[in-house]
Amino acid sequence: MRTLLRGVLRPLRAFRSRPWPAADVPLRATSHGTGLLYPEHIPTTPLQKALLAAGSAGMALYDPYRHDMVAVLGETTGCRTLKVLRDQMRRDPEGAQILQERPRISLSTLDLGKLRSLPEGSLGREYLRFLDVNRVSPDTRAPTRFVDSEELAYVMQRYREVHDMLHTLLGMPTNILGEIVVKWFEAVQTGLPMCILGALFGPIQLSARNLQVLVSKLIPWAVQNARRAPCVLNLYYERRWEQPLKALRQELSITEPPMHVQGPA
Amino acid sequence: MAAPRIWGLWSFCCRGWSRVLPGCRLPGLRSSWPRGPLGARPLSQEKRATETHFGFETVSEEEKGGKVYQVFESVAKKYDMMNDMMSLGIHRIWKDLLLWKMRPFPGTQLLDVAGGTGDIAFRFLNYVQAQHQRKEKRQLRAQQNLSWEEIAKKYQNEEDSLGGSHVMVCDINKEMLKIGKQKAHAQGYKAGLAWVLGDAEELPFDDDKFDVYTIAFGIRNVTHIDRALQEAHRVLKPGGRFLCLEFSQVNNPLVSRLYDVYSFQVIPVLGEVIAGDWKSYQYLVESIRQFPSQEEFKEMIEDAGFQKVTYENLTSGIVAIHSGFKL
Repeated sequence: MRTLLRGVLRPLRAFRSRPWPAADVPLRATSHGTGLLYPEHIPTTPLQKALLAAGSAGMALYDPYRHDMVAVLGETTGCRTLKVLRDQMRRDPEGAQILQERPRISLSTLDLGKLRSLPEGSLGREYLRFLDVNRVSPDTRAPTRFVDSEELAYVMQRYREVHDMLHTLLGMPTNILGEIVVKWFEAVQTGLPMCILGALFGPIQLSARNLQVLVSKLIPWAVQNARRAPCVLNLYYERRWEQPLKALRQELSITEPPMHVQGPA
Repeated sequence: MAAPRIWGLWSFCCRGWSRVLPGCRLPGLRSSWPRGPLGARPLSQEKRATETHFGFETVSEEEKGGKVYQVFESVAKKYDMMNDMMSLGIHRIWKDLLLWKMRPFPGTQLLDVAGGTGDIAFRFLNYVQAQHQRKEKRQLRAQQNLSWEEIAKKYQNEEDSLGGSHVMVCDINKEMLKIGKQKAHAQGYKAGLAWVLGDAEELPFDDDKFDVYTIAFGIRNVTHIDRALQEAHRVLKPGGRFLCLEFSQVNNPLVSRLYDVYSFQVIPVLGEVIAGDWKSYQYLVESIRQFPSQEEFKEMIEDAGFQKVTYENLTSGIVAIHSGFKL
């Protein structure tokens, strides 16, 4: 958490080059020494990125509990899209502020007591309720590693941390159905290849009834809202905790879900 | 490595220093440090004496042990599967070849250091059991005028299917030993097997105890290789054999190039996708590059007091088996 914020406040210094016998073998990708743009960075060659993308896609399909593989897929395939997102953020005043100040959503930066004391229906209170009901924590997001730009790595990280906010905004739980709906929303909003792949391949494991509900009601609603709403990455959520959720939804032109999706028990 | 011969000579000379000054950082010695007469050391080496390499990183010697421990702690559960994936199953053949070179006979006392998950130990037990059974069969056939009572007694005699052989598996890492014990239990190995937590640089055994000492893919992770070799010399009986199976330098330039690409591009990706751990496998491939070449390692073994030291390259030098005797 400390990491990317420090990167803004202090000009990033490339680590001093450490002597190693790599001069004659240019094919090596290093994981330390020069080339580290941010502390969690693992520099990768294009071949490695391609292999990672293919491997992580396969592994994510094979073992759906490997969330880290979905994250890796996003990082290795999202280069171009992240740039587009970042430029979009720069054009918007609130988004530009986020890029400048690099806020992070984690248990260490959130003031849970203050959020709990907020009135019912406010964003902060509803977000906390979402975390409690679904028993998730904002700290389970893996740090970005394979993005070769410090700013883009932050955009990726911000996208991941905003994911929970989207659950709250859309009123979707963290079960498979809710996740797919949010993925569709994200796919249309961000255009990240990982979201698109997740949105297309996620429903494979659903039962027929769920699939029918998804396709007939939830997906059209999600896509419609995603097209109408401005870029959700441009919202400075940390400053909007007191804003009533309904008002925020109106601001983003997000309507109520067509049906209540039952959350995990 | 596709290295010009001059570089090879330099590294050979410079690494010679590493024997004079153990723990000296190997890659840094490529600057123009001349070899002084009669092995005199230039002063500037002193201040770097407590640093060593961890893959391509430079760390202090105290740190290295801890970092290596963490690497193996995190890879332990998927160690065997990753070995199969990374070497496409060829590591099994390498380990089999090590056993065939060893040719243990029933009654051999083996010490397998850094033997964590038990690959060498299990192969040893299989081998001596097969040998013992063959011996028994030969004896039976030779004694053709035995009465049926004596023959029945021989068949019922279950006291020792190993003929007195014993293998002691020693590893510094608890997780690796745990996985090894689970495997032994699952595969039914009970007799002739013991598991000990210990440091290769300071073995918890008396002098002159073992017939054979093996260390397979472990010695490059040891902080002070010379100390490990000295300990090996100490615990072996006179006439005992030292065997080391380890990654080494490839001698063929084409294979070397392919090997480099495979090592650095594919293996960390495999580690990330299958085990969710990029850095441990990056350390693995880097530590292979940091290990001395076949000839240098042979000299290190000779320095520890072993004689008749030889080595055999497997798979174009990707792996080498070094062998020495305590005479």
